[in-house]
Amino acid sequence: MRLTELPRTTSFRLALMFLALFGTCSLLLFAFVYWQTVGYMRRDQDEFLQRQLTFYSALSPTDRVQRLREHPRNDPGTRRPSGEFDAQGNWLVGNLSALPAELRQANHPVDFDLVSADVPVPFRGYATQLPDGHWLAVSQNVHDPREFEALLLRAMLGAGLLTLLFGLIGAVALGASSMRRIDAITLAIRRIVTGALTERLPVQGSRDDLNRLAREVNSMLDDLERLVHEVKGVCDGIAHDLRTPLTRLLGGLERAQRRASSVEEFRAATAQATEEISELLRTFNALLRISEIEAGARRAGFSHVALAQVLADAVDFYQPLAEEKNISLRLHGTASHADLTLWGDASLLFDAFANLLDNAIKFVPAGGQIEVRLDAEQHAISITDNGPGIPINERKAVLNRFHRNEPSRSTPGNGLGLSLVAVIAHLHDMKIDITDATPGCRVTLSWPPRQ
Amino acid sequence: MSRILVVEDDAATAAEIVDALADHGFTVEHAADGQQALATIASGNFDAMVLDRMLPGTPDGLGVLETLRAAGVQWPVLILSALSALDERVRGLRAGGDDYLTKPFEAVELTARLDALLRRRYLPQQETSLRAGSLEIDLLNRSARRHGQTIALLPREYDLLAFLMRHASQVVTRAMLFESVWGYRSEERTNVIDVHISKLRQKIDVEGQPSLIQTVRGSGYILHAPD
Repeated sequence: MRLTELPRTTSFRLALMFLALFGTCSLLLFAFVYWQTVGYMRRDQDEFLQRQLTFYSALSPTDRVQRLREHPRNDPGTRRPSGEFDAQGNWLVGNLSALPAELRQANHPVDFDLVSADVPVPFRGYATQLPDGHWLAVSQNVHDPREFEALLLRAMLGAGLLTLLFGLIGAVALGASSMRRIDAITLAIRRIVTGALTERLPVQGSRDDLNRLAREVNSMLDDLERLVHEVKGVCDGIAHDLRTPLTRLLGGLERAQRRASSVEEFRAATAQATEEISELLRTFNALLRISEIEAGARRAGFSHVALAQVLADAVDFYQPLAEEKNISLRLHGTASHADLTLWGDASLLFDAFANLLDNAIKFVPAGGQIEVRLDAEQHAISITDNGPGIPINERKAVLNRFHRNEPSRSTPGNGLGLSLVAVIAHLHDMKIDITDATPGCRVTLSWPPRQ
Repeated sequence: MSRILVVEDDAATAAEIVDALADHGFTVEHAADGQQALATIASGNFDAMVLDRMLPGTPDGLGVLETLRAAGVQWPVLILSALSALDERVRGLRAGGDDYLTKPFEAVELTARLDALLRRRYLPQQETSLRAGSLEIDLLNRSARRHGQTIALLPREYDLLAFLMRHASQVVTRAMLFESVWGYRSEERTNVIDVHISKLRQKIDVEGQPSLIQTVRGSGYILHAPD
């Protein structure tokens, strides 16, 4: 982890930004609280002084002298010294020993210091000139409130600094953790790029944005890996399935070269070769067709298709083949749903049904049964046979290109039929399910309601 | 002898098509792009055209076709395309094409379709019955008779027979049968059509006589009309 990169991480910057925002808000809040508290305390002190002054001024001179003389008894610690002075400011009575110059000059409560034991103590006082020219002064020790104000300020500053410190530490931690995660993800991506397709991005427990992103990328990687496997499977399939007929073709031609002596024999050999090549071409065409449908190119040619009609046509088309094998092929449910339409391509849907019927007829033994059912309420078409069925572990694989289970390798076909059905189903937003019909196999094509 | 104009820009494909059509007995002219095609059409008489959908420059295949139809030229046009996408086919037919073939195709598929297009042109449309030797079908009440004996046919079997009889003495491919009789388009299903044909044969053939419907190896079927 490089420290210089830390300030560039998004989480660090975000944390800093929030810290600044939070700091500004706290500062404003503190200032407000401080201003209100201090303001309230000072107003309270000033009002007290005002009350005292008004009280003394209202008394007769003799009463005032009497009161001022008695005042020290009520104020033993000289916390609220008051006194009366003559016009020149010389002390007459009270426990305030001298009239501070600040009080004489201001016509409102002011701060002044009284030196006691060489230490200046803060006081707040208020003085007024009486009608007889004497000065009357009241005051109050404000050492404690001033201490409180200073304490408040210190506490707030301290809290602010602590917040700043923790915020910074948090930002660094966040930035570092996100950097660590990004580093881990980068590392994983590099490994994937160099070919480790099974590698996945690290995902932690929480559902935060980075994890969500990583999960999405991982599911994309799952798809990619599956596709790569499929492509590899197709390539292997092509290689495997084409080698046999090509070898046969080569063998036949070589034999003709060595042995054939008449035009007739050569003609037979070329006819044989032509047949083999046509078969190969058919396989290639089928492959191309599957990829073309897979690319969704034909969706542009979609229209409303009378599903029951197409299904009935497909069954009708295969009826003679079934009869030939003494298989009973029956269709249910189309008569009552003749008006059911699906947005799609009639020829492709016919192809899908035809491939399923073709398979069923191929694998059901003579005398068997095939039931085709259109269930409009369930939005499904099912084709059920009582043949050998498909083993549970092969039900997904049969939809892949070139998959043929072992016993079927001897039967004709290119192993592309069901994968064609799968891509046609996919193109029409249909789901294809292969289930057990005990005995036999049921293939269900279902589509979402309301299309 | 029918004169066919082949409009195809790819020299190799064009040579292949020209050879195949010449072998089949057509007189063939070739144009490599849209301009040349229109010039050739203006200077000569043709019975049909094989037109590549994709041509370099303007006009492209559909452009040529539209110009042609706008000028009132009615002879049949078969469109060739590398794209089998349905909407391409629909666009081609809508622009005035009579048939559509996807590359790659077999020569016999092209010649058989051209034969069918040319035949359709000369066949009177108001026929009410078709006859091939002792076999006769009534187009109005959709029934078939051989030697005057009514043959019970399923609707689809009747359609199959009617198509073969309309194109009597011509090769029809399985794809053509599938398209016109079943109304779907697909490159497969050939073995199943054989089963339908063999069922039809059982119904219309007379024992001891060769079948009216002959299999043409590697191509399709032909219904012979013995005169």
